[in-house]
Amino acid sequence: MATLSSILEAEDITSLQSLQLFARTVVEGFTTGQHASPHKGFSVEFRQHRPYVQGDDIRRLDWKIFGRADRFYIREFDEETNLRATIVLDASGSMNYRGQKGVQKFDYARKLAAAMAYLLMSQQDAVGLITFDSKIREFIPNRTRITHLHHVLETLVKTEPGKDTALAPVLESLAQRLKRRGLVILISDFFDDATAIMRAIGVLRKKGHEIIAMQLWDRDELDFPFGQWSRFENLENSEDTLLLDPAAVRLRYMEVLKNFQEQLKEGFRKHQVDYLSLPTDESHSSALRSYLALRMR
Amino acid sequence: MTFLNAILLAGGAAFLIPLLIHLLNKRRVQTVRWGAMHLLQEVLRQRKRKLNIEQWLLLAVRIAIPIVLALCLARPVLTALRSLGIGKTSLVMMLDDSFSMRAPAPGGSPAEQARLDVGHVLDAQPNGSDAQIVLAGGNARRLLDQSTSTLDIIPKQLAEKTNQAGPVKINEALQTAAASLSKAPNGARELAILSDFQASDWQSVADGAALPALDNLLKQDPKPQVTFYRLTSDLTENLSIASAELSALVVAEGQPIGLRVRIQNHGKRPWQDVAVHLEADGARLRTSRVSLPPEGEAVISFTHAFDKVGDHSLGVRLEGDSFPDDNAFYSVVQVRNQLNVLLVDGDPSTEPLGGAADFLELALTPYQSAKADLKDLIRTTKVDARRLREDDYRGKEIIILADVDRLQGNRLSELEKFVKGGGGLIVFTGPHCDLDWYNREFYKKGDGLLPTSIKGLLRAQSSTAPARVLQQRLTHPATVYFNDARGGRLQDAEFQSWLEFDAPKDANVKPLLQLDRGTPLFIEKSYEQGRVILAATTADAEWSNLPLQPFFVPLMQRLVTYLATQNSLTAWDLVGEPLRMVLPKSRLGVEYTLRDPTGQTSTIKVKADGEEALLESLPITAPGIYKLTQGNTTQLLAYNLDPTESDLTPLPAEKVKQLAERHNAAFVESFDAWQKLDRTRRHGSELWQPFLIGLLVLLFFEVLLQQRIARG
Repeated sequence: MATLSSILEAEDITSLQSLQLFARTVVEGFTTGQHASPHKGFSVEFRQHRPYVQGDDIRRLDWKIFGRADRFYIREFDEETNLRATIVLDASGSMNYRGQKGVQKFDYARKLAAAMAYLLMSQQDAVGLITFDSKIREFIPNRTRITHLHHVLETLVKTEPGKDTALAPVLESLAQRLKRRGLVILISDFFDDATAIMRAIGVLRKKGHEIIAMQLWDRDELDFPFGQWSRFENLENSEDTLLLDPAAVRLRYMEVLKNFQEQLKEGFRKHQVDYLSLPTDESHSSALRSYLALRMR
Repeated sequence: MTFLNAILLAGGAAFLIPLLIHLLNKRRVQTVRWGAMHLLQEVLRQRKRKLNIEQWLLLAVRIAIPIVLALCLARPVLTALRSLGIGKTSLVMMLDDSFSMRAPAPGGSPAEQARLDVGHVLDAQPNGSDAQIVLAGGNARRLLDQSTSTLDIIPKQLAEKTNQAGPVKINEALQTAAASLSKAPNGARELAILSDFQASDWQSVADGAALPALDNLLKQDPKPQVTFYRLTSDLTENLSIASAELSALVVAEGQPIGLRVRIQNHGKRPWQDVAVHLEADGARLRTSRVSLPPEGEAVISFTHAFDKVGDHSLGVRLEGDSFPDDNAFYSVVQVRNQLNVLLVDGDPSTEPLGGAADFLELALTPYQSAKADLKDLIRTTKVDARRLREDDYRGKEIIILADVDRLQGNRLSELEKFVKGGGGLIVFTGPHCDLDWYNREFYKKGDGLLPTSIKGLLRAQSSTAPARVLQQRLTHPATVYFNDARGGRLQDAEFQSWLEFDAPKDANVKPLLQLDRGTPLFIEKSYEQGRVILAATTADAEWSNLPLQPFFVPLMQRLVTYLATQNSLTAWDLVGEPLRMVLPKSRLGVEYTLRDPTGQTSTIKVKADGEEALLESLPITAPGIYKLTQGNTTQLLAYNLDPTESDLTPLPAEKVKQLAERHNAAFVESFDAWQKLDRTRRHGSELWQPFLIGLLVLLFFEVLLQQRIARG
């Protein structure tokens, strides 16, 4: 049975424990505590105090304890939220890229998904997991039970990237399958037709889902540092190759890359999707921290 | 193409470096398993083909750079002729050996410069080359029978030439050169025209006249390289004897002969008191002085009487200018006891000047008629045509028929025999002539004595002007005297009636004088050893006032002396022409000795020439008096330079250059320039400059191309 430690480093687990995920907009299932909920009548039970860490909302400080002990404590509630967060992980061939620094994009994504799942579960949120390539490969519905986390992690461990990407149809079919509104965390390189992606994102947004788009980049994909003549073999289709002098096309590549990023950014902004571009040579925690900072605005 | 630093060409192998880098790069292709393929595809979309071309272009440029650099350093020279299998050349030098090339100059006359330069040019020829010289002055001829690869014999042969030939007949000379070139054994052919480009020879060509011989020569395959090689003297000041005329071709002993000399100043400075000496038989007789305006002329006349029968030399010599070679004129005067002329009168009369031949008698024996003490050269015998006998022909040199209706008995055949044997015949027509008989028996369809058949009698209408002698430049020896108006105006004679002749069918038939009605007045035919002159008019005043004209006397005298001396030599001839004498067959194989003015002798043998025996020398190369001896008989011959050669004005260099350019020829004025040209032709033009420019362009292009490819 997969354990969290088989995916995450111990220090990552510790570090992630201090992270909080905040939803920015009102989502169905958010009741009390940190999440404002449109549904009234859910009980809020105090579970424990814990020491304040940087990044915690100061509104949740327990001023009484501060008055007595002169220390900051945060009050935590057992049923503070019932956020339905679905992690949608791209397991297409392009995620199989292992850059010159030795980091595999999917590996990074898997760890990121695990971290997200852990965080969400630790907040009592209902976490679901979907892996896909050209279609949905695994669908784990949203659950809050701690055993569910193991199920999620086990699926993550088992999943290996392979086939073509078809992000747009996957997102469209996802819109059909996610009956209740929630948070959709998209972890992908988004190597697909940007227009089609945005169309599918639009469908999801119309269904009331909040979306977080995490785009993973290998440093090679950002810098295109190749010098000698290279045969570029498509990770999703080994018969698709390009033989070229990378130095000769580098400037042009950078232009195309920039256009692609701009196109995505613009699309996400238009659909009010939080977008985060994450190079795989950055640590997971710093990536998430910068995301949370974004969400805290 | 050749290279001056061929070893540096090896540097061109450096082209392998970019090629190897390219090939190694391609061989050492790394495989990248890549995710963001759609980005790369976008990069290459619409650019893949272009990129490929650009990549190949870039490789080509990079390969070309070391090659061009190596070529540049190796100093390439373009050898246009290399493709023809060069090295050896067939060179024909058309050398102007006309007299003007002798004009003195500080660095030597053009002829001397030419000789030196020919030597240098020949020395510069690659081994195995062959050369020929075409001497272009006067009648163009080859120096050697055929071109030779033993080049050092050419200067030796050339040294013997005197450069006193007449004007260059350009087309004729070029034809001779072209004929030599067409037989050239080597693929690379060159023609060098070495000349002073004297304006009198070349002006018309420079003004645009065609040079068909040169155009044809340039059509030869392989095309010859032509060079105009100008050699000049700075001398333009020159005095010369432009022309000289004797008053008679033959004179009697003690009979004065006139010599009229025209002296020309070709320069721009005036000359005062130029001494002109009259010389006879090598002795100076007297001296006159003339003054000459700039570019003007003066005429001076001398008379002299020889008192001994035989050939005598008579000449003039002037003194003063720095180019004395053209200051002399030589002629030969034949002094005879007398010429016997038979006048056959077809219409005799007892009245003074009433007979058909009376005017002739008067004109041919003027002193006798005037009862003067002076002796006439010509002795006439007049007979009535009806009483003409065979004996009358005997001892006569000339027979003149005047208005004879027809010849009776055997007189015609005897007359034919007389002319065949070398006698002269003049036929004056008239109203009594039986024209049918003349055409039938006298002309005999061209086999008879008459030069042409008679078409009929023409008369000037009362309303129209009478016929006159056509005004034109006269070239016949018997009439050339009348070119000068002082000899008499032939146009003063008026013809009321005249005979119209049929167009002559024989090329041997030539008119002496023409009427302005398009028909000849006198027409001549050679008939074996003798000659016949047919007149379209009467010898008396019946059809014209010709006998009443003052020039009638010299005209008749000249016609008679011309016919009488037809087998002897003319008073003088031009240098460049050979001595030619047609002799009786009996003289075949006889050897004559020709002694030139310097005293050198050569032997000439009479040889057969068709039906005749011919005495012919090599072309005469120097002016002066020559002696032709056979046994005890010695004849004198005079040769003069062509006076047109004395005008030394050359074509300006610019004009010659333009002329050369017009015919795709090169132009040089010195051996150095020739050498440079020859080097360019032989080794080609150095090309490192264009290669360097090419290299810079390639470098610039490489940078440009690389940036373009990098920018996508």
